Amino acid sequence: MLEIILQLVINGLLLGGIYALLSIGLTMIFGVLEIINFAHGEFLMISMYVTFFIFQALGIDPYITLVIIIPSFFLLGVLVEQVIIKPILNDPPLNQIFTTIGLGLIFQNLALLFFKADFRTVKTSYSSANIFLGELIVSIPRLIAFLLAVTIIAGLFVFLRKTFTGKAIRALAQQRRAAMLMGINVDKTYSIAFGIGIACVGAAGAILMPLFFVFPTVGSLFVLIAFVVVVLGGYNSLGGTLVAGLVIGVIEGFSGFFISPHLKEVIYFIMFIFILIFRPTGLFGRR
Amino acid sequence: MRSNFTWLSDFIMGHKKSFLAAAFLAILCIPLLPQNPFYQDLLIQVFFWATLASAWNLLGGFAGQISLGHAAFFGIGAYTSTILYLTFGLSPWIGMFAGAGLSVSVALIVGLPCFRLSSHFFALATLAFAEVLRLLASYWRGLTNGGVGLLIPHQVAFKNFVFEGKLAYSYVILAMLLGIFFVSYFLKNSRLGYSLVALREDQNAAESLGVNTNRTKMISLVISVFFTSLVGTFYAQYYAFIDPDIVFTSQISIQLALLSIIGGVGTILGPIIGATFLIPLDVFLRGWLGGVFSGMNFVIYGFVLICAVRYFPYGIFGWLKMRSDKFLTKSALVFSSPGAGVPVPDANEPCRQSTRCEKPLMMVNSISKRFGGLHAVEDLSFSIHEGEILGLIGPNGAGKTTVFNLISGFITPHSGSIHFEGRDITSLGHAHRFCKQGIGRTFQIVKPFQSMTVLENIMVGGFNRVRDVEKAREEALGIVERIHLSHHAMTQSSHLTLANRKRLELGRALATRPRLLLLDEVMAGLNPKETEDIIAVIRSLPKEGITILMIEHVMKAVMALSDRVMVISSGIKIVEGLPEHITKDKRVIDAYLGEAYNATAV
Repeated sequence: MLEIILQLVINGLLLGGIYALLSIGLTMIFGVLEIINFAHGEFLMISMYVTFFIFQALGIDPYITLVIIIPSFFLLGVLVEQVIIKPILNDPPLNQIFTTIGLGLIFQNLALLFFKADFRTVKTSYSSANIFLGELIVSIPRLIAFLLAVTIIAGLFVFLRKTFTGKAIRALAQQRRAAMLMGINVDKTYSIAFGIGIACVGAAGAILMPLFFVFPTVGSLFVLIAFVVVVLGGYNSLGGTLVAGLVIGVIEGFSGFFISPHLKEVIYFIMFIFILIFRPTGLFGRR
Repeated sequence: MRSNFTWLSDFIMGHKKSFLAAAFLAILCIPLLPQNPFYQDLLIQVFFWATLASAWNLLGGFAGQISLGHAAFFGIGAYTSTILYLTFGLSPWIGMFAGAGLSVSVALIVGLPCFRLSSHFFALATLAFAEVLRLLASYWRGLTNGGVGLLIPHQVAFKNFVFEGKLAYSYVILAMLLGIFFVSYFLKNSRLGYSLVALREDQNAAESLGVNTNRTKMISLVISVFFTSLVGTFYAQYYAFIDPDIVFTSQISIQLALLSIIGGVGTILGPIIGATFLIPLDVFLRGWLGGVFSGMNFVIYGFVLICAVRYFPYGIFGWLKMRSDKFLTKSALVFSSPGAGVPVPDANEPCRQSTRCEKPLMMVNSISKRFGGLHAVEDLSFSIHEGEILGLIGPNGAGKTTVFNLISGFITPHSGSIHFEGRDITSLGHAHRFCKQGIGRTFQIVKPFQSMTVLENIMVGGFNRVRDVEKAREEALGIVERIHLSHHAMTQSSHLTLANRKRLELGRALATRPRLLLLDEVMAGLNPKETEDIIAVIRSLPKEGITILMIEHVMKAVMALSDRVMVISSGIKIVEGLPEHITKDKRVIDAYLGEAYNATAV
């Protein structure tokens, strides 16, 4: 029994690392721009397709693709922010919500148009490789995914603490008006923050590709998890998001094993609604 | 051209009843028009989506609570009636209402706590809720047959809600559409309708005017969910097949919002117009592109949605209305100059003659309020006498606005008590209850209901005491004149200058017919002439039995108006007394200018 529990914790944590990376982009965007990016999942989907086709056409390993994905998704994010998000930043919530929903609809259905509803997957040499630690099994692609996710998140932390742009982003998240008065270029910083958010979810897509299959609506599957993680993590704390990602990963593992794999989503959605209602600042939120 | 138009509108107005009857009959004939099943089906789809979108709009448009989870109630309706029919042979006509009842109960349980969330998170929570139901419906095979779905046998009978051909279905769905249409219509033009829009525009301002925002949201939720659920049953009966991915999909929820937004969100006709334009377009696009370009229609939808919210925030209906408003502004001007007989707020008070009487209207007994470690208000006691004007001054951050929030019910003190007219109102809990007691207030940062006209803004206040719309309008016209906004009565409040917004803020609070009026810096930012005007209005109020507590930084106004002045600093009362004494008090000078200043001066 103890092995089973340990095994579930390991699997959960490994999965949780990717959830955290995926969600941290959402936290970044919400924390700084104060909008919820309902198209977040679709960026994940695009990244997965890009990774898939690069692998298919050039045989480049998904993890190496990260080098291409991260900068190009950053630019994609900046572009989307400039063209679509910027004009609605001061609009009522209705406009903000349905702008990103509209964006998601476009991406999702363009994917359907081009790639049909087929499931596609990347088969690598290590796809089903494992390490054995006594009784415990650690899947190699999951371990790599976890380590990469955590490394990227750590890099982001350092960036936010040490660089001027990083500090500007944090300042903007904490006190928009004061940041403006301190001479921070708000326009540019919003774009960068959105770009970083999209780069994170792009990276998550590439890392996820060897573990999962891609199809046009894969985004909606993951984006809901990301929402849960963000809310659990307290909306605007990156550290909280990291912890919440790991927690959700573990919960998913346990509920899948002890209750039913079909109900794992139900479990964390119910958790999600309860957190929203009873602890609206999130489990790890300030205040 | 114009004279022709007026003649026509006069004629229509003169024969309003006959025209309405004729229009109604014409609508009833619509289902007879299409000659082949394809067009009959198209018509049913238009009615179907128009009904759903109208139901969504009641909550999302009128009350501004954006739900992305209406599929949940659609699905509950479809599954409840179908399961009851298939297992117990219960007629879907009855099952339909059982489903609606279930939907409403679920909505009440889930909705009540969710209403505390801000818009973005309300949307998220509803989205997640519908998703939970979809997953549960897929999982719970014993009840729902899981992903395989449920099939309704084709046994034609009225009691089975199964008909031959499509005509009967189109009448059923038309009846539902007319139902939601009339409900929306009556709601929009009732006291409740004004409350809904008010709470959408600014929840705190609505509360301060006596609107029970929670109850108002609940009512719109219940009606919205009820109709959504009925249409769910209709869907099951018409298509004779349901599965979780069809009826619980978030695509339904989004489509409803989309139709409302494109047609004109928050309007009665908007969702119907949206469905009339978009559904045939959608069917056409799917037929035309579907084979080769499946998904293309949604790509177009996405573009339309993004462009609509940015460039046409009021949708097709708003655009049409803007054009027709050019005619209406003329008649509105005539309407806005009211005749004589302006009602003055009720002055059923004994204090009318004497300017001062010493009966305490409100007694505040050592209240304290902390925000984290900050003592915003500490052990503060004071009383306000009937018919007086009490000035409340103090340096920035002294806690003046917190005092207002405490005695108008926006926050509850940690300790101490507040008595109003002898009643303990400390823990009434909600601001609207304070307003009902007779405490009106304005906000330092003005909060007009932007989409409403000046007159409508004031009417929301009037509904605190009056139920009848016409009566509220009449009273509002009187108040508009008092605050010198007559020529702007029909102006949308978002177009007002700051001075006029401040006047409106005052007028709206007056309309609630307060016994005690709390004025939070109504003169800040006004020029001397505007200040004079507003001073004159305020000065006239005590004669009508309205007692005033005002926060003001314009010293001239405080000195000219106040019978007494209270000074607080760091949440503590420093001194209280006649205006001329206050200005000479050393403690006050210390608080404002700092002790160091005083020391050097001496």
